[in-house]
Amino acid sequence: MAVSYFSTKDLVSGGIFVVAGAYFALEALTYEVGTAFRMGPGFMPLFLGAVLTGLGIVVAAGGWKKPDTDERFTPSWRGIGLIIGVVMFFGATIRGLGFVPVVFVSSFAAALSSRLNSPLFAVLLAITLTVMCTLIFVIGLGMSVPWFGPWLGM
Amino acid sequence: MNKNTVTLAASMLAAGLAFSGTVLAQDYPTKPITVVVPFSAGGPTDTVARLIAEVMSQDLGQQVVVQNVGGAGGTLGAGQVATAQADGYTLLLHHIGMSTAPTLYRSLPYDPTVDFAPIGLITSVPMTLVAKKDFEPTTLAELMDYIKANGENVTYAHAGIGSASQLCGMLLMDALDTQMTTVPYQGAGPAMTDIIGGQIDMICDQSTNTTSQIQAGEVKAYAVTTAARLGNLPDLPTTAEGGLDLQIGVWHGLYAPAGTDAAIITKLEAALQKALTDETVISRFAELGTVPVTAAEATPAALTELLTSQIALWKGVIEAAGVYAD
Amino acid sequence: MDMIASLSLGFSVALDPMNILYCFIGVLLGTLVGVLPGIGPTATIAMLLPITFSLSPAGALIMLAGIYYGAQYGGSTTAILINLPGESSSAVTAIDGYEMAKKGRAGPALATAALGSFFAGTVGTLLLAFFAPPLARAALNFGAPEYFALIVLGLLMSIALAHGSILKALGMIVLGLLLGMVGQDIYTGQPRFTMGVRELYSGLNFVSVAVGVFGVAEILRNLENEKGRDVMVKAVKNLWLTKDDFKRIIAPVLRGTALGSVLGILPGGGHILASFASYSAEKRLSKHPEEFGHGAIEGVAGPESANNAAAQTSFIPLMTLGIPAHPVMALMVGAFILQGITPGPNVINDQPALFWGIIASMWIGNVMLVLLNLPLIGLWVKLLSIPYRALFPAIVLFACIGCYSINQNIYDVYAIAFFGVLGYVLMRFGCEPAPLLLGFVLGPLLEEHLRRAMIISRGDATVFITRPISATLLGLAVLAVVIAVLPSIRRKRKEVFVEDD
Repeated sequence: MAVSYFSTKDLVSGGIFVVAGAYFALEALTYEVGTAFRMGPGFMPLFLGAVLTGLGIVVAAGGWKKPDTDERFTPSWRGIGLIIGVVMFFGATIRGLGFVPVVFVSSFAAALSSRLNSPLFAVLLAITLTVMCTLIFVIGLGMSVPWFGPWLGM
Repeated sequence: MNKNTVTLAASMLAAGLAFSGTVLAQDYPTKPITVVVPFSAGGPTDTVARLIAEVMSQDLGQQVVVQNVGGAGGTLGAGQVATAQADGYTLLLHHIGMSTAPTLYRSLPYDPTVDFAPIGLITSVPMTLVAKKDFEPTTLAELMDYIKANGENVTYAHAGIGSASQLCGMLLMDALDTQMTTVPYQGAGPAMTDIIGGQIDMICDQSTNTTSQIQAGEVKAYAVTTAARLGNLPDLPTTAEGGLDLQIGVWHGLYAPAGTDAAIITKLEAALQKALTDETVISRFAELGTVPVTAAEATPAALTELLTSQIALWKGVIEAAGVYAD
Repeated sequence: MDMIASLSLGFSVALDPMNILYCFIGVLLGTLVGVLPGIGPTATIAMLLPITFSLSPAGALIMLAGIYYGAQYGGSTTAILINLPGESSSAVTAIDGYEMAKKGRAGPALATAALGSFFAGTVGTLLLAFFAPPLARAALNFGAPEYFALIVLGLLMSIALAHGSILKALGMIVLGLLLGMVGQDIYTGQPRFTMGVRELYSGLNFVSVAVGVFGVAEILRNLENEKGRDVMVKAVKNLWLTKDDFKRIIAPVLRGTALGSVLGILPGGGHILASFASYSAEKRLSKHPEEFGHGAIEGVAGPESANNAAAQTSFIPLMTLGIPAHPVMALMVGAFILQGITPGPNVINDQPALFWGIIASMWIGNVMLVLLNLPLIGLWVKLLSIPYRALFPAIVLFACIGCYSINQNIYDVYAIAFFGVLGYVLMRFGCEPAPLLLGFVLGPLLEEHLRRAMIISRGDATVFITRPISATLLGLAVLAVVIAVLPSIRRKRKEVFVEDD
């Protein structure tokens, strides 16, 4: 496989830079670039996007003939899925469900993203965190968020 | 103290159980009221809101909490209130920007005249024309001549798209029929810094931000944009005295979402009118260089009328200037 | 009024029992909110403004100021213990502080932060007391071209933030600069890279980005290889600094304090650069630059001192001219006004008791902070004995709640998820998060000042080299690049010669 001649590290990070740089530069083309006197909103992002794309290519090319040496990339898909899911869930429901249910469900799911945690432990942890967070943020700091939200019909 | 604790406990219980379903208007308010300020904390509008909220809490017997929802020139917070439950527990305190947003933002997700139930006007903060210390003109007449003669070589600072200082600048250029080089800043603080430091020529900003600098001689002042002179700057002429056709005040209004029960609006209107006669409010407003409006203006009718006429006025000015925020 | 009389007036106000109490409440609250990620001093001061209505002006302002510099202390605690920086300054502390914690040296790291901060806070307060008006005047010489040059210098110096590939560090800086441009363009109002989401008009939230690329990314990495063991088992060696540690931190603390004091005075964003600049300087000057990024104590001592010195001196433009240097100072302006005092050049003469009282209270507050924080180190370190599997769900929750509470903006929460994944992937493929954050905070400033300088000079780019301060700063920037590149060129030459043989 040709890829084995490459450092995956350099190839992937370079690739991310190229993609991000290209996105910003292309999107910036739709904004006004302006003049030296009055630079438009597109000027800086276009310039920096091009620089980032260039850097990405150089980084990726730098990985040529430098095969990976260190350990392989073994992400915990369960961890990523649950943690990211928890954060998205929190954002999507905090206004509708209210503080207490959202914090309880979130901490329960977050705890389960580690294989070391049993469901029972997750429940206990969720209860503890819910009480703690409500005390600190809602009662202590007076955060303006309902305990139970309008979706619960109360 | 004891009574407070009981009320606090009761309100927490109320919030906790959230039995908001159908609260009768005569019981209103039974839980804390949130006043959304669509700008960050610490600014002039936020200060006005906090002063009013504090006094209204005492009258309504419930906490009136100020919540800052800044962003997108005030349209984010306003949009949030437009879609909030019309139960009287979420209100909006907004300034002149309420009337400019429909023109500045061509894709505004709400309509200020339809989606809100106005409660009343609060105050109208005067603006002042000031310049860096060593700026050549010394009187308003000289300033007008200087701007006309130098046009784009004059640099005019403003606090960002949709800010009061930008609006005043549009009016000034309109009145003098000339163009200056406008330089936007991120808020009034940085703009003022560059005026004091002499990096930029001039600005027209709310007296809240300029009075202490004028009194200390850090900036040169030319005129105030209201019909009458200011109490704490008695030597500063008005624009009309100097023959400049420019009048602007940064007016602030209180709104509820459209569809709010009329009885609730009446209750809030009364609380607002009472707050505007409070001594602390009057004295703090005086230090901001402004006065509360009269009880006749702190009404839904007066605010509706002003809002409608201002929307029409700014539509003309902004479209003529060709400045948009999206 | 001479200085002794002024200071004794100040201390008579600050030592009033009620004011001591408010000062203590302030620094205590500040420490606590600093420790909680997300809820920073801005949110706390905004929430507490109503309470300060009923206090005397001096009491209210002493308490609010205490929250601000107390939060600077507390912020480093979370950065060191769980890699969750709540502000740009503590992002730098997290680099080496967290590495020290991983090696069981959380105690010395926290002690270094506390001691460095105390020293820097004291010096900053003295500067404020003795030289505030002239310093504020001097800072006014900084216009758009000078700030642009300063930021360019900062960016080029900061390549030192990375301990791996320089190219990747550059890439992360530029990516950060671009991310900083998301939101409404302040010059035209044009929304950029917002994908039509109005909530993004005011840009991405710094705390979301920082919490994502540092905290969440680290959690995702730790979840990788769970083989029945817990990730962060730490044999805590000692709580206090060794003699050798003391020797190593003296010079960084002094340099950090000097650097931070100077940068903090500049109202146009100087304080942001303080800790980054100090870190770069320490790495350059160190005899063991390879230790940086792997738990070098200098990497905690320098930036922490710089940060606190800047926090203290950023009061100078506010107290003497009434100009707020950053959002927290803008809130302080609001607090002054609510108390019926309009901050401005006249406060020092019209309200001497208030002016000097606040300054004196800052020093007292710093003493309280060190007395409060040193005993707390033991407690904080104990926190690390909580098993990681119970700790990380709490970190995730705190991050979400904290970010949401800042603006009640749910997109701030979604941003944590996005940057968590991005940070994790980039970290896994050899890119470090600190340069990205630096780019992110400096990006908007860089663009703002460049464009403003060009407008004011009417499109004449020579303004950057005809103004002496800006020319000097740009000259230093060029020098920084040359110094950074020279050794590698020399090395390359040698390699070429070797191959030729």
